[in-house]
Parts: sequence; structure tokens; C-alpha cells
Amino acid sequence: MRPETRAEIESLFERYPQKRGALLPAIYLVQAEKGFVDADGARELAALFEIAPVEVHEVLSFYNMFYTEPQGRHHVYVCTNLPCSLRGARTLLKGLESHLGVHGPGTTRDGRITIGHEECLGSCGTAPVMRVDGAYHENLDLGAARRIVDELE
Amino acid sequence: MPTITIDGTEYEVPEGRMVLQAIDDLGLLMNGVDIPHYCWHPKLSIDGSCRLCQVEIEGMPKLQIACNTPVANGMKIHTRNERVLAARRGVMELLLINHPLDCPICDQAGECKLQDYAFQWGVPESRTREPRRPAKKAVDLGPTIVFDQERCILCRRCVRFCREVPKTGELGVFNRGDESLLEVFPGSELDNPYSMNVADICPVGALTTRDFRFKIRVWFLDDVKSVCNQCSRGCNLVASRSNNKVYRFVPRRNDAVNETWMCDHGRMSYKLNGQGRVEAPRVDGREVTFTDAVKRAAELLRATLDARGKIVGIASPFASNADLAAFRDLLARLGAGNARFSVPRGEADDVLIEAEKAPNAAGCRALGMTESNDSIGRADLALVLGHTLTAEVFGDVGNIVLVDSHESALSARAAVVLPARTFLEKTGAFTNSRGLVQKFSAVVEPEFEAWSEADTLAQVAAAAGVS
Amino acid sequence: MIVEPYVRNYLSEHYGDDAYRTLAGYEAKGGFAGLKKAVALAPEQVVELVKASGLRGRGGAGFATGLKWSFMPRTSDRMKVIVINGDESEPGSFKDRLIMERGPFAVLEGILIGAWAMGAQRSYIYVRGEYAEAIRALRSAVAELYKKKLLGKNILGKKGFEHDVVVHGGAGAYICGEETGLLESLEGKKGQPRKKPPFPAQHGAFGLPTTVNNIETFAHVPFIVERGVEWFKGRGTEKSPGTTLFGVSGHVERPGLFELPLGTPLREVIGHAGGVRGGRRLKGVMPGGLSMQILPPTELDVPMAEEFLSQRGTHLGTGGVMVMDESVCMVRVATVVSYFFRDESCGQCTQCREGTAWVHKLCQRIEQGRGTEADLALLTDVPKLMEGQTICAFADAAAWPIQGLLRHFRSDFEAHLSERKCPFPESFEL
Repeated sequence: MRPETRAEIESLFERYPQKRGALLPAIYLVQAEKGFVDADGARELAALFEIAPVEVHEVLSFYNMFYTEPQGRHHVYVCTNLPCSLRGARTLLKGLESHLGVHGPGTTRDGRITIGHEECLGSCGTAPVMRVDGAYHENLDLGAARRIVDELE
Repeated sequence: MPTITIDGTEYEVPEGRMVLQAIDDLGLLMNGVDIPHYCWHPKLSIDGSCRLCQVEIEGMPKLQIACNTPVANGMKIHTRNERVLAARRGVMELLLINHPLDCPICDQAGECKLQDYAFQWGVPESRTREPRRPAKKAVDLGPTIVFDQERCILCRRCVRFCREVPKTGELGVFNRGDESLLEVFPGSELDNPYSMNVADICPVGALTTRDFRFKIRVWFLDDVKSVCNQCSRGCNLVASRSNNKVYRFVPRRNDAVNETWMCDHGRMSYKLNGQGRVEAPRVDGREVTFTDAVKRAAELLRATLDARGKIVGIASPFASNADLAAFRDLLARLGAGNARFSVPRGEADDVLIEAEKAPNAAGCRALGMTESNDSIGRADLALVLGHTLTAEVFGDVGNIVLVDSHESALSARAAVVLPARTFLEKTGAFTNSRGLVQKFSAVVEPEFEAWSEADTLAQVAAAAGVS
Repeated sequence: MIVEPYVRNYLSEHYGDDAYRTLAGYEAKGGFAGLKKAVALAPEQVVELVKASGLRGRGGAGFATGLKWSFMPRTSDRMKVIVINGDESEPGSFKDRLIMERGPFAVLEGILIGAWAMGAQRSYIYVRGEYAEAIRALRSAVAELYKKKLLGKNILGKKGFEHDVVVHGGAGAYICGEETGLLESLEGKKGQPRKKPPFPAQHGAFGLPTTVNNIETFAHVPFIVERGVEWFKGRGTEKSPGTTLFGVSGHVERPGLFELPLGTPLREVIGHAGGVRGGRRLKGVMPGGLSMQILPPTELDVPMAEEFLSQRGTHLGTGGVMVMDESVCMVRVATVVSYFFRDESCGQCTQCREGTAWVHKLCQRIEQGRGTEADLALLTDVPKLMEGQTICAFADAAAWPIQGLLRHFRSDFEAHLSERKCPFPESFEL
């Protein structure tokens, strides 16, 4: 990991009575470098937090927002839980995947976008909803969703 | 001490224990009070996830897991009413829906807790039509363990073991929900000096030892109690034998010595019983009959006694207490003074492995023998048990009569070599480093003629006319 | 654009005002009057006040908040911790997000009142990782409080009254909304709920005495302290005083949030959302988020409070009202529901790990027209194997909605069996 990343992680330790409390924020910081955490990254985190690498990998594999494999430059996740599905989210997702030329969850061939579904994003009042990287896009229809993904570089 | 009632019977239990621990403390768990369980283990932290140990406790509306419910005075527990039995059936059914039907090829069959509890408390027929979840099969998890990921019931005993006992923590459970998988860090291995214990504690055939793989069905084995002879800890074990052959060692619980563990080295030492044995008596390098070897040894002894020559006795920390006592007495009768002994040493750890690499140095010391690696000096006859001293140390010794179970450089130097029984081939006792005298029983008979050290030397003494 | 509550009450009165998200704007509207009143009382008195108010937790379990606060040890040589559950992941629930984004200071004032009452020195606000905007709003509010010395040492000039707040983001796992699952996640581990005993008040975050409460629960506290117990008990029901932000979603004209007194009839809540869309008929409504049993149209008169909903075989949960019209195939709903629970099970307990997957597979098969009577029988039995026997309530939450769907809409399932396909062509696509 970059020295700045390491320094930032170390500055988080004092916020928690046990340094391991800083692990989730630390993983986000390491992940921000390459878009995922590879085996070396996991080993470095393990050394920094004084735990076994397998324990880091347990955490990486448990949470949806951590990745151990390379990702597209952008994440596009359409919520397909009940309130959104009631308002056509699954149809929208299929249309969007087709638009991007991806079958089911996956990454476009040019590595631009990883598209998939996500569980309830907490925006049921404005369904259908998708999350693009850090931002929510609400009250979607397929046209709006297509326009949004087309803007992504 | 609190009193609890289980299925109508009252028990006095230790304070501050969980119900399952308390029943185990009394020696009754699965031995009078049957509460089947997977994730709980008497020597590991409490997990609470398998849910099999659920019992009904009066006053508590939901069933409680016995492994994590503290005992309270007056508690009334039911372990076999319909509600509890239904819950057990539920857990067993759910564990079996994804479990592969591997029994015909699985080493665990016959000592498998999934089989056992399914037969006793499970459902008679499968209701699932769903395909079972495929996963890794028969992969090497490391040098000692074979891993079948499909069989794993996720009790996490192995994960806790590696973190808590050898403290190497190689194992983890990845993902979540029904995608949970037992794993090691990608590219790494399960490799620690206690790795094979995970095969003991795994209730199913997910973790088995490569050493035992496909060797024999456990229902052909019978287990004989013994004690490990590879260091002064004296881990208790059972030797599993069939047709006069030892197939494996498995640790035996002794809370004062080794809890429920033994190290891999000690566990694998059963192989030594069949390797490098002294199989036939030898005189000056030639194989002879047992009688002739005894006769020759007796001649040397008689000659030395008549000439008032110097006799020294070298004892072995691998010999049993009875053999050592007999040796001491013989040396006294021969006017040979105190026996000497030497103890091989090596690395120790803070788990079980001790620095003295022999089981009975304490036995030697208790009999007043002298520990020394020095050169023996001038002597006419050395009566030697085992080969813990090197040949160089005998530089100035006339004749060596060696009683030993295994070949060594020393046996080439000896005038007479007599085969001895190992600890697996006789009954006796060792004294461990904490002064505990621990008995062992004969497991197998040697394929060739051999006697204990005491019996061998008694024959020599008798032939030499020593009273 | 976030949906603002279409019906407001004391909690969300000023949510439309951007200034309310700044400390100055919050104070201008009476903010921190509650805290000032609280620190004039002894800590135990504040706990008693919250107890007397009857405030129930707003995170789904409805546990009496004052009672929970009283579990914290009076004195401790170890630091005491408050953990605020902002993991809102219950499908159908989106109120905490709005509260964090538009009304963060009320939450923080409530936390400080709790800190005074319980003698806690540190708070961790655990916010689900997807709520980037809420995390930003909270961090900004926290920074303002530090600047104005309403966090840190000697708060409000009270010697010894010190408190620190850390805003901590999750990483995408519903089970981290479970009290002890959250604590595990906060500690940097997998969010797998803990067995109890020990209980969080004795051994919580990092082994320290801990109280966990929901975001909305804390948001009510300053109002209760400032305006008094009688005022609070004047709205809502006897056993469930106060308001909550009901989230209405699905097949309604105007989905969104509505701050209404607890006990408002379900029909009225849906009415605020414009009723069923396009004038269609109602088929069913889940009153409390995905984990709570569905209600048929005959139950619309039920007052929306736990004590009434539990009499009708369901629960208030987080007040996430999901409305389904006549087009909806309930077997598809069961498939969506069971997939969610299969995906989100932490995997520890046998019944949950294996049961949630089995239920989902059964629903899938039945939905695809490949189901049999035996499968339907299993769909009744398997949830029973899961209920009431696990480390946490997730298995119950996974079992109940399936049981509710079967109880009220069995004919939908039977139609799939007999017709060997979905007989609801208009239903939402799966």
C-alpha cells in the first residue's frame, strides 16, 4: 500500500480501544488504490493489524462492498429487493445489462462498468433506484438509467 | 455448589460453569446425560452455532443451548422430551440436506458424529430434492491433512483450535450464509506441529489425516491405552490396532497432562515400532539364536566377574519403571554401582512439546541413576539398554552387551546384541516430567522373539550363575 | 432528490430547511434546549425520564429505551460506550437515512443526552456503507459540534462531561444491523451476531459496557427531554407513544415518508401515500419491513403500533409499509423475500444457514412451475425448523414472511402447482 494510505490507516487507530476497530475503514482505503484488495494487500493489512491474513480475507469475503478481484472502473448496482421490484427494477436491470452487453452480473469488456444487483438501498420511496459508485440515482426508468451509465467514463 | 435437575435426577455441579461444561465436569456427558453437540468442545472456546445442544429449561420460554447457559441453583433441565427431540431432528435434517453421501468412501465412517447422531436423533428419510452444494473435495490442506469442503458442517472447531492451541490461526470461514466455506488464506497451508488434532475434533470427514487415509475401516480397529514415548510430557493416547498391527495413535483425554491433544510428531511415532528394529540377536555381528546370544552374554559376564573386572550399567530413559528397577537391582548384585543414563534433548514449546525427548528420565532419576554424557572411561563390560549414548563414549570399554529395540551405530560396536520389546509390546509405566506415573498396555506382539529389558537381563544373569 | 416527509410532525418539522442541517440553524429552531435541561438533572433522573416517557426503540424490536439505558452499569472503571445503529438495511425502510441527512443534530443531541444519562464517554455511529450522503452529513455535524465545544471535553461547561463521537461506515451486510452483529463489525470482524450471555451492557463494543440504539430512537430523545414526558405521551398510543416516520413504498400513488403518530390506522397511512396506484385493488401489505408477516386487505383498520399488530399475527418492525396491488404474484414475492434472507444470512447457525437456502430453492421451484405438493408442505415445515432456535432473530425474520404469505395467499402457491407456471401475467418481473 502507498505510504499515504498506511499513514492514514495508522491515524485511525486512536479512535478505537482496539486497533482492529479500524479494519473496515482501512480496507476501504487500501481498496481505493486499485479498486480491489489482492492477496498482497490482505497480507499487508494483516501485518499492520497484527492478525492472520486469513482473518483479513474472512472480512473481505463477508461484506458486499469489499472486492478481492479486479473491478470495472465504475460500479452500477440496481436494487432488486421487493419495493423496487414492485416498480419494475428487475426489468430495468435486464434492460441495462443488455444495453451494456453484459449477461447477468459482470463487467463490460472494456472494463468500464461492473453492473449487478444489490439488496435494499434504503430508498424505497423513490424506486427504482440504483447506486453508481458513491451516488444514488432515484426515480429511474430505463431511459434515465441508460443516460446515466453512458456518461460514465 | 448449585444443584440442578436433569430429566428428573438431581446433580450437584461446580459453580460458574455452563450446563454442558458442568455435565462434562461430572464425567456424564454422552455417558449418562446425552446432549449431542458439534461445535462445543471441552478444551476450546464456546461457539454456540451448531444449535444441536438445545435443551428445555423450565422457566425459559425458548430452548436454550446447553453450551452457553450458565448453571443456576434449582435449574430444571429436560434433554429428551418431544420438544427437544423435535429440535434435534430439525438440526440433523438441515445439516444433511447439503452433506454429500460419501459414507462409503469416507474415513470417518464408524466414528462419525454426523452418522451417530443422525441415527440416534435424526430423521429417517431425506425430504430434500435440491441439488447439494458442490465444493472442494480431497484437497491437501497441508502436509498432514486432507480436506473435503463438502462434508464440512461449519462447526468451526478447527478454526478455534488453530487460533487457541498452537495459535497459528491458519483456518477461517469465508463468505456468509450458505456460501460459507472453510478455507485457508489463498496460497497458504495448514501446517503447524499440532495440525493433526483437527482431524480428531472434526465431527465429520471434512478433515482427515493423509496418514490414515483409506488404510482401514475403524470398525476393524480396537483401541488400547498407552502413553507417547517421544518426550517427557507423556501425552496419553490410544493405539488403534488390527491384526497385530498399529494403524494410528489418537490422543486420549487427560486434563492433567495433555488435555485432548498430542503433537503430530508424537502421533506419527507409531511408525517407529516397525522401522529399524533389532530383529535377531547377534554375537560379534553374526545372527545367532536367542539362546546362543544369552549364552555368550553370560560367558562375558561370568568372565568379568571372575576376573573382578569393572562392570558399568547404562540405563535408558525409554525403558519402563519396572525395567529400570530390575536393572538397578541387577547392577547392585553385580557390584557395578549406579547406572548411568543420558537424555536426548531438543526444542520445547509452550503447548505440549518438552525438551527432554524421552518418556522416562524422571523414572531414571527416581531410582538414583546418574545423568551423564561423559566418556565412560575404562571398563571391562558394559551392560547397555538402548542407544542414547554414542559409540565414541564407549571408547575404553572392553565388551558391550546391548539390549535394544532399534538398530544404531552402537549395535555394530556391541559384542552381543539382544532384541528388546518396545513400549507398545509390553505393559509398564513411565514417569513424566511432572512426576505422574502413567501406565501403558501391550498393544502388539513382535514378529520375532524379543523380551523386555528386565526379562532379557534376568536370563543372562541366570545363565551366568548370578544370584 | 431525497423524498422529504410528506406529512411532518415534531421530528421532521424542519427537514425542508437546509439551515436545519447546520448547528446554528438547528439551535435557532430550539436545538440543544433538551441537552441543557438534561445536564441540569442527575444522570439517573434522565434515565428515569426516558423510562417514564415510554419511548420504544425505533430499530425494529421496539424495546423500551429507558429500560435499556438502565442496564448500563452505574459506575465502571472501564470506558462506557454508546453505539448508534444507522445500518438501516431492512427492505422497505428508509427513514433513518432521511433523519441522518436532514436532521443529524437531533440524533447527536439525543446521543449526548444518553451520554450524560449513562455516563458514556464514547459513541460510534455505525452507518451502512452505501449511505455515503448520510455519512457526510453526520461527519459534518460532528465536526461542527467539536468546533463549538459540544463534543470533546467539558461539554456545556460541565466539568467531567466529555464525549467523543466516531462515525464509522459499514460495508454492505444486512446482518450488521443486528445489535451484536453490529458490534462484531465495529470491532473489525465479520458481522456475525454473538451468543448471549454475555450481554452488551456488560460486555459490548471492544468488551466495554455498551448500549445500542437506533438512529431514530436517539432523534426523539431531545424532544422528550425538552418538552416533557406528558407532552410525548400525548401523541401515539399508551404503549407506543410518539411518532415515527412510516415509509410507504410499492404500488401507491405517492411513495415516501410520512411522520405520523404510532397507532395511526394502516388504511390512513396508505391513504397519505395516495392509496393504491391507478385506483387498483389492494392485494396485500407488509406493515413493518420485509421481515414482518404480510396482511390481507381485511386488516387495514389495524392501528400501526406493535401492541395491535402483534394481535394480527405480524409486527411493527421499522414501519416500512410495502403495498402490493392485485397484479402481484405472491409466489414471486416469496422468491424475492427468500432470496434476500438467503443472501444475507451470516451463516453461523445451522437452521438459518441451511434453512434460508432451502426455502429460497423451494420458492424458486414453485415459482418456475416445477413445484409439487411435497414442496408446498416443506415450505410450511422448514420455516418452523428455523424459528426461535438461533443466536439472533434473523432466522425468525426469514421464517415469518414466508409463513405470512402462505397463510394469507396459499391459493397463489397452489395455482403455480396446478398450472405449472405463474398465473399472474401482469405481475412484476422476477
